[in-house]
Amino acid sequence: MPFKKGRSKTATVLLLLGAAYCLLPVLWVLIASSKSAGELFSTFTLAPSTHLFDNLADLSGYRDGLYWRWMANTALYAGVGAAASTLISAMAGFALAKFEFPGKSAIFNLILAGVLVPGVLLAIPQYLLLAKVGMTNTYWAVLLPSFISPYGIYLARIFAAASVPTEILEASRIDGAGDWRTFATVVLPMMRTGLVTVFLFQFVAVWNNFMLPYIMLGDDKLYPITVGLNGLLNQGANQPAMYTSVVTGALVSIIPLIALFLTLQRYWQVDLAAGGVKA
Amino acid sequence: MKSTYAPLMAALTAAALFTGTACSSSGSSSEEATDPNEKVSLTYWTWAPNMDKVAAAWNAKNPNIQVTVNKQDGGDPAVTKLLTAIKAGSGAPDVMQAEYQKIPTLVSADALADISAEAGALKDRFPAGAWNGVTLGSEAVYGVPQDTGPLMFFYRADVFEKNGLSAPKTWDEYATAAEKIHKANPKQYLGTFSATDAGLFTGLAQQAGASWWGVQGDAWSVAIDEPKTQKVAAYWGGLVEKGVIDNKPMYTPEWNAALNDGTQVGWVSAVWAPGVLEGSAKDTKGKWKAAPMPQWDAAAPATGAWGGSATSVTTQSKHKKQAAAFVSWLNSDPEAVKLLATEASVYPAANDAAGALTSPPAFFADQADYYAIAAEAAKQMSPFTYGPNVNVAYSAFNDAFGKAAEAKKATAFTESLTTMQKTTVDDLKNAGFTVAG
Amino acid sequence: MTTSAPARRTGTPYAFLAPALILFAAFLAAPIVYAAYLSFRKVKVSGLGLGARSRTEIWAGLDNYTRSLTDPDFLPSVGRIALYGLIVVPTMLGLALLFALLLDANRTRESVGKFARISIFLPYAVPAVVGSLLWGFLYLPRVSPITDVFEAVGITAPELLSRDLTLWAVANIAVWGGTGFNMIVIYTALRAVPVSLYESARIDGASEVAIAWRIKIPIVTPSLIMTFVFSLIATLQVFAEPMTLRPLANTISTTWTPLMKVYRDAFTRNDLYAAAATSVIIALATFILSFGFLKLVGRRAFNQED
Repeated sequence: MPFKKGRSKTATVLLLLGAAYCLLPVLWVLIASSKSAGELFSTFTLAPSTHLFDNLADLSGYRDGLYWRWMANTALYAGVGAAASTLISAMAGFALAKFEFPGKSAIFNLILAGVLVPGVLLAIPQYLLLAKVGMTNTYWAVLLPSFISPYGIYLARIFAAASVPTEILEASRIDGAGDWRTFATVVLPMMRTGLVTVFLFQFVAVWNNFMLPYIMLGDDKLYPITVGLNGLLNQGANQPAMYTSVVTGALVSIIPLIALFLTLQRYWQVDLAAGGVKA
Repeated sequence: MKSTYAPLMAALTAAALFTGTACSSSGSSSEEATDPNEKVSLTYWTWAPNMDKVAAAWNAKNPNIQVTVNKQDGGDPAVTKLLTAIKAGSGAPDVMQAEYQKIPTLVSADALADISAEAGALKDRFPAGAWNGVTLGSEAVYGVPQDTGPLMFFYRADVFEKNGLSAPKTWDEYATAAEKIHKANPKQYLGTFSATDAGLFTGLAQQAGASWWGVQGDAWSVAIDEPKTQKVAAYWGGLVEKGVIDNKPMYTPEWNAALNDGTQVGWVSAVWAPGVLEGSAKDTKGKWKAAPMPQWDAAAPATGAWGGSATSVTTQSKHKKQAAAFVSWLNSDPEAVKLLATEASVYPAANDAAGALTSPPAFFADQADYYAIAAEAAKQMSPFTYGPNVNVAYSAFNDAFGKAAEAKKATAFTESLTTMQKTTVDDLKNAGFTVAG
Repeated sequence: MTTSAPARRTGTPYAFLAPALILFAAFLAAPIVYAAYLSFRKVKVSGLGLGARSRTEIWAGLDNYTRSLTDPDFLPSVGRIALYGLIVVPTMLGLALLFALLLDANRTRESVGKFARISIFLPYAVPAVVGSLLWGFLYLPRVSPITDVFEAVGITAPELLSRDLTLWAVANIAVWGGTGFNMIVIYTALRAVPVSLYESARIDGASEVAIAWRIKIPIVTPSLIMTFVFSLIATLQVFAEPMTLRPLANTISTTWTPLMKVYRDAFTRNDLYAAAATSVIIALATFILSFGFLKLVGRRAFNQED
């Protein structure tokens, strides 16, 4: 930055306070997962212990490593769901941004309305409809609904408008490239930064989703991590809640997302209103 | 035992007529293949731990009927999913664990198949009360009883000794003990009134002689706001108002901590409590003792139930015969019953299960008479009828008693029963049930 | 290939839109229509209601809506989320704006800024169910370090899940989870502001606070409007946090928020029809509130680049 900046103690203190507030529960889960079952409920809350690896072993041992299967399922739901949704959003966003056609604004308004619909409300009728085609309790039951993201389309449209110049499309057409080839070779690379952002948002949304898989899945081998952990916690009255495993599992489950944050930091930038991604 | 159930049987004969005629189609096997060598696979929803190991024993012997266990998150979510699947027309498992209190709801939603042809002969292998839970007093059989949950009382023997107390034989003694313990150490409580556990309160009302639902002709009756339940509510409300027992829910980290640090020193629970105590407060092992329930009238001992379930075949199963065979084996075959007790840690309902329960649970290793107490309690179970909207009554319990417990007012406890009664009756009427009275 | 047949040109956008529209129809439109249909239906039981064919689905007219709106639990739950929204939205957006401005003003060491940015954004990565569970532990007196801190200085710790504080306890989880995301949105908008716009003000000796008020905040107003709309929607839908905390306390009823009532009706009471009616009411309220607000501010946010 060209201008001179003065350091401010107030700014530093405020930012660090904010960081501390946000990290408190994370710090707690880190410490709690190092405690044995007895210690979790008896020793001082923020006093760490030495049982992290025992707890991890217990967690891994739970019904032959079911926990890791939940993690793998979650990665599958979030990864495949976000990838497909990004591609579909890119196509739709590109069409909405760069073409004039009858019904365009109607379609766009419809998608905007879709942004506003609460996912929780959709889960039950989605279940009833998917059950009619016999698809509940399968990977598809969770994957297919996550392929459509009105919010992703909305963002993709903004990104396409901001980053794909119309002249380049014209040039590509004159060069003889078909629309699909233009899209794959010219448009997608230009929208890349924005699409990574769309991918990340959808990835986090699917990763954190609870209601849809909770309703759709009966077989706990298909569970994502949120539903699995919830199950460990609520086993019914005649089973003790598995708090140590839940706490350790919660800690492990947020590690991949933290890694994703740290490695892809520069894509976590989105201007909802003006649209461009500033990388 | 049979005699205590006689009034219920009589009251439910009307139900028999209805279900008998209405269900004639659901139990039929006309669409099923009769080829004995046909390979079928069955899915089985259950939340009991290690049930896959029990199923493995069946699978080894029955290569043509392979059972896959889908572990569920507990009774409520499983029933929710089953009902949604029934409504949707597909997605239900073949075999389903169903708590007794959910069976009328499930039968009413046409979710459970009548397996009287396959399992009807097992009647004499189970206590009459449990059997009634799966027949609803009709000719139909909607499952085979798996386990029962007779109420028992658990207490910290060391704390009782220190205060010069012995296990309370009556509820009066329980109240005195609660007061004494709390006075001696204001941090200690003999128990807590948990507004999140409607099942326990129902068991306590059952012990006092209440039966919240009933059948009169072709109408349901609801008796929640009645003297016996009022007595129970007023009793617990009084203890909470006095502050001698706690008012916080059970099964929370807070409650676990209280069990661990010795501030919850008693627990009115059921036969399966050792597993929960072991999982929640392992380090207190050896300090607890089990005792029969405190009584309203020591001369006429009675208990209620908390938990207990049957195994049922769903109406969506395409292999009802095979599923019924598995369900029968699971709950009555001596080998299976033994596995239920040892692997799945349930208290089997079958009459001859005593052989499977020779040594006390690990958490009560020193108490040789553990299962003798349990068996005695199981025999003293009062009759109780569940209705088709138990969930409505239970969620009304959660809300009304949550407020009452927070307010710590005995009058709020009894008023909560009025709310429960009204909510339950309104719901039945709204759904179109005929409600007597 | 070069002959751009008009047929192809007009068909192209629809082809690009087809997957999205098909999925939209299947997984958004159809369920909504189905829910609306269910909201006008109900089940009628005959006799004792035991056994097959004792239940029939019939038209209910507006029954479900009347019942939903007159349910004694419904209005209090609406009032509760109104209050909840009044706490959450300004607090969360205020903090997000403050942190974004602090980061943008670049008045701290770069490492501090980076650490704070990542830390504040971190809760966004924690599923609401998990976050609520962690806070639940922090709220319960016997297992909470907060209690220990209070006791260490000799004050009786407040019971965070008691009648007076539960709403704040739930609101805190939402603020914790949402501040970081909104901060990033506002921060991105701030970084798009050309430095030249406020460089002269800086040279003239205007304070950073004055620059923030007079130049930066007006520029990021469209972003604030958008974050406001999304926060408003999230408020109307608050569900996972109170649902997770409910078993821990006496103070959260099964109908604490409107969506919890939907859940209770659908799953605990097995009354999909009443649940559908309440869903439709909530969806309509969401549309009216968010579109109404956007209309009020001139829809400048959504239609920016048109």
